Amino acid sequence: MAEALAFYTLSVLILGLAVAVITTPNTVHSVVFLVLNFLCVAVLYVFLQAEFLAVIQVLVYAGGIVVLYLFVVMLVNLGRSPEEHQDPRRLGLIGLGLSGAVLLELAGIIAYSYTREQSPPVTAAQASPVQGNIEELGWLLYTDYLIPFEVASVLLLVAMVGAIVLARRES
Amino acid sequence: MDFIWLIPLLPGVGAAINGLLGIRYFSKVLAARIACATMGAALLLSLVAFLELLGLEHREHVVTLAHWIPPIPLETASGIGAFEVPWAFRLDPLSGMMILIVTGIGFLIHLYSTAYMDHEPRGGYVRFFCYLNLFCFFMLTLVLGSTFLVMFVGWEGVGLCSYLLIGFWYHKQSASDAGKKAFIVNRIGDFGFVLGVFLVFYTFGTVDFREVAEAASHMPVEVAGFGVVSAICLLLFVGAVGKSAQIPLYVWLPDAMEGPTPVSALIHAATMVTAGVYMVGRNAVLFEHAPMVMTVVATVGALTALMAATIGLVQTDIKKVLAYSTVSQLGYMFLATGVGAFAAGAFHLMTHAFFKALLFLGSGSVIHAMDEEQDMKKMGGLKYYMGTTFITMFIGAIAIAGVPPFSGFFSKDEILYRTFLSNKWLWGLAVVTAGMTAFYMFRLIFMTFFGDYRGPGWKHEEHGGHAEEHGHTWHGPHESPRLMTVPLMVLAVGAFAAGFVGVPAALGGGNAIEHFLEPSFVATSASHAGEAEHAVAHLSHGAELALMAFSVLVGLAGISLAYHLYVRRRGQADRLAANWSVAHRVLLNKYYVDEAYGATAIDGTMASARGLWTVDRRVVDGAVNGAGWLTRALSWVSHVLDKYVVDGLVNLVGWICQEGSYLFRRVQTGLIQNYAVATLFGVFAFITMYLVARYVGV
Amino acid sequence: MPAGFSALDFYYILPELLLTGGAMVVLLLAVLTPRNDNLLLGVSLGTLVASVLSVSLFSGLDVTAARGLLAVDSFAAFFKFIVLLSAGLTMLMSAPYLRVEGLKAGEYYFLILCATLGMMFMASGVDLITLFIGLETMAVSFYILAGFLKPNPRSNEAAVKYFLLGAFSLGVLLYGMSLVYGATGTTSLQGIAVALSGQSPSMVIVLAVVLIGAGMGFKIAAVPFHMWAPDVYEGAPTPVTAFLSVGSKAASFAMLLRIFVEALPAVAADWSALFWVLAVLTMTLGNIAALTQSNLKRMLAYSSIAHAGYLLIGVVVGTERGVASMLVYLGVYLFMQLGAFAIVVAMRRSDVVGDELKDLGGLFRRSPAAAFMMLLFMLSLGGIPPTAGFMGKVWLFGAAVDAGFVWLAVIAVANSAVSLYYYLRVVVFMWMHEDAQPGSPLVFGPAMTVALGIAILGTVVFGIYPQLLFEQAQAAAGTLEGFSATVALR
Repeated sequence: MAEALAFYTLSVLILGLAVAVITTPNTVHSVVFLVLNFLCVAVLYVFLQAEFLAVIQVLVYAGGIVVLYLFVVMLVNLGRSPEEHQDPRRLGLIGLGLSGAVLLELAGIIAYSYTREQSPPVTAAQASPVQGNIEELGWLLYTDYLIPFEVASVLLLVAMVGAIVLARRES
Repeated sequence: MDFIWLIPLLPGVGAAINGLLGIRYFSKVLAARIACATMGAALLLSLVAFLELLGLEHREHVVTLAHWIPPIPLETASGIGAFEVPWAFRLDPLSGMMILIVTGIGFLIHLYSTAYMDHEPRGGYVRFFCYLNLFCFFMLTLVLGSTFLVMFVGWEGVGLCSYLLIGFWYHKQSASDAGKKAFIVNRIGDFGFVLGVFLVFYTFGTVDFREVAEAASHMPVEVAGFGVVSAICLLLFVGAVGKSAQIPLYVWLPDAMEGPTPVSALIHAATMVTAGVYMVGRNAVLFEHAPMVMTVVATVGALTALMAATIGLVQTDIKKVLAYSTVSQLGYMFLATGVGAFAAGAFHLMTHAFFKALLFLGSGSVIHAMDEEQDMKKMGGLKYYMGTTFITMFIGAIAIAGVPPFSGFFSKDEILYRTFLSNKWLWGLAVVTAGMTAFYMFRLIFMTFFGDYRGPGWKHEEHGGHAEEHGHTWHGPHESPRLMTVPLMVLAVGAFAAGFVGVPAALGGGNAIEHFLEPSFVATSASHAGEAEHAVAHLSHGAELALMAFSVLVGLAGISLAYHLYVRRRGQADRLAANWSVAHRVLLNKYYVDEAYGATAIDGTMASARGLWTVDRRVVDGAVNGAGWLTRALSWVSHVLDKYVVDGLVNLVGWICQEGSYLFRRVQTGLIQNYAVATLFGVFAFITMYLVARYVGV
Repeated sequence: MPAGFSALDFYYILPELLLTGGAMVVLLLAVLTPRNDNLLLGVSLGTLVASVLSVSLFSGLDVTAARGLLAVDSFAAFFKFIVLLSAGLTMLMSAPYLRVEGLKAGEYYFLILCATLGMMFMASGVDLITLFIGLETMAVSFYILAGFLKPNPRSNEAAVKYFLLGAFSLGVLLYGMSLVYGATGTTSLQGIAVALSGQSPSMVIVLAVVLIGAGMGFKIAAVPFHMWAPDVYEGAPTPVTAFLSVGSKAASFAMLLRIFVEALPAVAADWSALFWVLAVLTMTLGNIAALTQSNLKRMLAYSSIAHAGYLLIGVVVGTERGVASMLVYLGVYLFMQLGAFAIVVAMRRSDVVGDELKDLGGLFRRSPAAAFMMLLFMLSLGGIPPTAGFMGKVWLFGAAVDAGFVWLAVIAVANSAVSLYYYLRVVVFMWMHEDAQPGSPLVFGPAMTVALGIAILGTVVFGIYPQLLFEQAQAAAGTLEGFSATVALR
C-alpha cells in the first residue's frame, strides 16, 4: 500500500515536472525542472530495486547532460521566447485534444484490462546465478545481451561522428 | 516455323538501334534504311510463315520461348490453379492474317514516311522511325501472343507508342492535349481488360487463349442469365471499346489525328485500333457463350457506325472525315462479331486496313501537296495537279463505298448479310450507314479533287536557286515523290483485289477467307463435330443477291447524292448549310416557274424531259433539305454528347484527382507539430476503431 | 546457465562483424587520406561484398544465434542481400554526387555502412531489444545523413524534422513494446508468441499492436504516419533519399514482419485489419498526392509511399504466399526505385540542380540513354509488362485475391492505373516538352554506369525471368516462424 502511494505520488510529480519543463517561458527554469524530473525518475528506480540505474540516472542525466544544457542555455542567450515565432497554421488545440483523447483511451484500456480481464500471471525473470544489482546487470549485458550492448557502442560512435560532422565548420 | 518470334523482334531491334544510337549519330538516310530494312525482313518472314501455315494440317503452331511467370498457385473457381504464363507466340489463321497486314502495311508506311517526314529535322526524323518500329514490335507481339498476358504486353505497348506518336509534335498544344486524352480514355478501357483477364484466370485457371476456348466450349451457353462468361466478355469488351474507339470511348480517335499522317494511317486506321476487334475475335468461343454480351457488342457497333458516319457528313478537315470514317468502320467490324460473323469481321478488318491506309496516305499526300493545309474548303481541282494520288484515292473511296468488285463490297456485304439474318433493325442501321459512308467519302473526293482550285496562291519561282536559303518555299500543289506514290499504288491494288479472297457463294465464289479463318474461332474439340450447324439460317442465293443489289444501290445513291451536291450543283451544300433565307427561296421558286413556262412552248419530248427534270429537282432538293437538317441535328446531338457527357466524365475524373491532390498539399504544411498531430490522429483513430469493434460490436 | 558466447556465435555474426570492421577502417582512412575518395569508395564496396559473401555462407541454415537474440535463416539472408545491395548501389551513385556537392566522403560512407549494420540487425533480430537497437542505429545514421548538405537549409530542415518526428514515433513504438513486455514478461519474439497462445488476447495487446503498428508505420511512411517523408525525401541529399526509400523501408518491413508474424500470431485478425486500413490509405493517398507534384524527388517520395501501401498488402494477407510475394515486390522495388533515383542523381551537375520535373524537358534529345532508362524505371514503377514491376504486382495482387482480399486487390489495381498518370508524365516531359536549360552535358562516370547497369539489369531480367527471385523469396518466407498457426486456420 505504502509502495503504491509512493509510486503514484512520484508519477504525478514526474508528469507535473515534465509539463512544467515545456510550459515555463524561462529557459533556465525549464532546465531546472528537467533536473528535478530526472531526480524523481531516479527515486522511482530505487523503488524498483534498480539502484545501479538510479545512480547512473543521477550521474549521467541530472549530472552530465543537464549541466551541458545549462551551459548551452547560458552561452546562447535567446533574445526572445520561442513562442513568439509561432506559426498560425499550427494545430495546437487539436493536438492537445487528441493527446488528451489518446491518454484517456490508454488509461481506460489499461485500467479496464487489469481489473476486469483475467490476465495470466507474468512469469518472473529467470533466477540469476549471481546476486546483487550491479553484478546481475553486468552479467546480463555481457552474456545474454552482448550483441545489443555492442551494437549500442556502434550507435554511440555514429552519434559522435554525426555530431562532429554536423558541427564542424567547413574549411 | 519456329522463327516466328523473330517477326516482332526485328522491328524491336530496329527501334533499339535507332533509339540508342541513331538519335545521336545516324543520318536521316541511315536511320530510315534501318527502320525499313527491319520491317522488310519482318514482312518476308511473315510471308514465309504464312505459306508454311497453309501447309499445316491443324493450321496452328505455338512457339514457346521461355517460361515467363513461374507457376503461382492461385485459388480459382475450380480449386487451386497454377498461374503460369510462358512467353509463347501462336501462329494460326487469324494471327497469320494479322501479321501480314501489320508487316505489309507497316512496311509500305515506313517507305512512305521516309519521304513524308523529310521536312522534319534529323533528330525528330530518327525519333519518328524509332517510335514507328517500336509500335510494330508491340503490335506484332499483341497479335502473335498466345496468352492474355503476352497480348497485354503488346496492348499496353501499342498504347504507349500511340500516345507518343499522337503527341509527336509536342510543341503544338492541341497535339499534346490529344495525346493526353487518348491516354486517359484508354486507361478506362485497360482497367476493364485487366479485370476481365483476372476473371478469366479465376474462372478457367489459365490465361492461354486455346485452353480458355477449350474450357469455355464445355460450358453451357448463357442464354437466359448473365453468368460469369458474360461478365468476362463484358469486361473484355470494355477493353476493346477503349482500344477500338467505340461508343462511348471513341472520343480520343478523332483527336488523335494531331499526329503525323503516316501514324494515322498505320496506328489509327489499319492496325492498332483494330486490336479490339482482333481480341474479341480471338475469344470468339467465349463470346459465343455470352449471347447477351454479343447483343451489346452488335448494338454498340451498329450505333457507333451510324453516329460516326453522321458526324463524318459535315466535317471539312480531310483527316477528320477519315477519322470518323474509321470509327464508323470499326463499328461495322464489331457489328459483325456481335452477330457471330467473326470471320466477316476479320475479313472487313483486312480490307479496311488496305483502303483506309490508302485513303489516309492519300490524304497525307494531299496535305503534303497543299503545304500542310487540311481544310477541304481550301482545296479543289487537285486532280489536275496530282494524278496518281487522285486515282489511288478514288479507288480507295470506291472500295469503302462498297461498289463491286472492289474489296469493300465483299467484306461489307458479308457483314450486312449476316446482320440481316440476325437482326433486321441493326441491318437497317447498317444500310443507312453504308449510304452515308458512300456519300461522305465521295464528298471528300469531290471537294478535294474536283471543281476549281480554291486554295491560296503561290509565287511562281523563276528558277532561282537562292530560294533554298530561305528554307522551305511552297511552289503550289504538286504530285508527291515516288516514295510516297508507290505505296499508294500498291495499296490501291490491295484495296481493289483484297476482296477476292472472300467472294460469297451467291456470286459463285467459295468464300475462301471464311473457311481459312474458321479454325481460329472454334474450340479444337468442337470443330470436328459439324460446327456448321450454328450457321442457323440461310437465305436462298436469289434473296442474297437481292440484298446485295440493294446495298450496292444504297451506296451508289450516296455517291450520286454527293456528285449532285458537290459537282453538278456546286455550292448547293453551302446554301443548305447557310440555312436558306426566304428571299433566296422565292428567287429559286421563280426560276422554277420560268422553266415550267418555257417547257410548254417547246416540243413534247423536251417538255416531258424538262418536266421530269423539275420533279427530279423538287424531290431531290426536298430530300436533300431534309437529309441536311437531319444530319445537322444528329451531328449536333453527337457533338453535345461528345463535348458534355463524355468529355465531362473524363474531366470529372481528372478534376477529382487533381483537387484531391491539392487538398493533400494544403495538409502538408511543413510544420513538424502538425505532422506529429497527424501521427497522433492515426493512433487515436486506430485505437478507437478497435474499441468500437470490440466493445460496441460492429 | 552456461556463460558467455561460443565461437559459433561469432561465426554467425560474421557479416555484421565484417561490416563493423569495414566501417572502422573507412573512418580511419578518412583521417589518414582524406582526399582519396576512390580508395574510400573501394574499401566501402569491398566491405559490402565481403559481407554479402559471408551472408551466402549461411544459405539454407535456420538457427538462432547469440542466445536467441538473432536468427540466421533465409528470411534474414534475403533482407541482408536487399539492404547490402541497396547500400552498394547507393554508394555507387553517391560517388559523382559527393564530388559535385563537395562533401566529405569518409564520414558519408561510414554512416551508410553503419545504417546498413542497423538494417541487418533489424532483419535478423528475433528479440525486441535487438530489433530496437538495430532500428535506432539505422535511424541515427539517417538523421545525420539527411542533414549532410550543410549549406543547404532544406537539408538541415529535413534532418531536424526527421529527427524530431523520428524520436516521437520511436516513443510510440517503445511504449507498444513495453506493453507487450509487461503483458508477457519476455522480449523474445518466440517467447511472446508462446505466452500469448491459447488465451483470448487482452485489449492491452491490441493496444500494443496499434502502437507498434504506428511506430513501424512511421518508418515505412504509411499514411497517416507519412507526413515526414515528402519533406525529408526532398531535402536530403538525393542518394540518401534513395537509400532511405529502399534500404530503410525494406529493413523496417523485415522488422514489422518479424514482430507481427512471429510474435503476435495470436492477434493476427486484429493486425490484419489494421494493415488493411493502412494499406488502402497509404496507396490511395500516396498516389493521389503524387499526381500534382512538380518536384521529381517529391513525386518519387509520394510514389514510394504508395509502394509501401502495395507492400503492406503482403502483410495484410499474412500467409506464407503473401509474405513471399511481398519479398518479391521488395526485390523488384529495389532496382526500379534506386534506378529512378540514380537518374535524378545524374541530373545533378555542377550548374544544374535537376530535381524539378521540368529539368527533364527534352532529355530524350540530350541524352537518349538516360531517357530510355528512366522510361524503363517509370514503366516498371507503374507496373507495365514486361518489366519487373509488373511481375511484382501480379504476384502481390494475386496473393491478395487468393487469400480472399478481393477488394484490396481491386483497389490496388485501380491505384496502379492512377499511378500510371504521373509516371508517364515523367515520360511526357522527357519526350514531348521543350528543352530545359541545357547546363553541362550528362556524363555517366564508371561508378554511375555500374549502378545504372545493375538497376536496369534487375528491372529487365526479373521482368522476363523472375524465377530466381521467386525461389529466393519463397525460401525466405518459408523460414519465417509463426505461419503454422495461420496456415492451419485456412
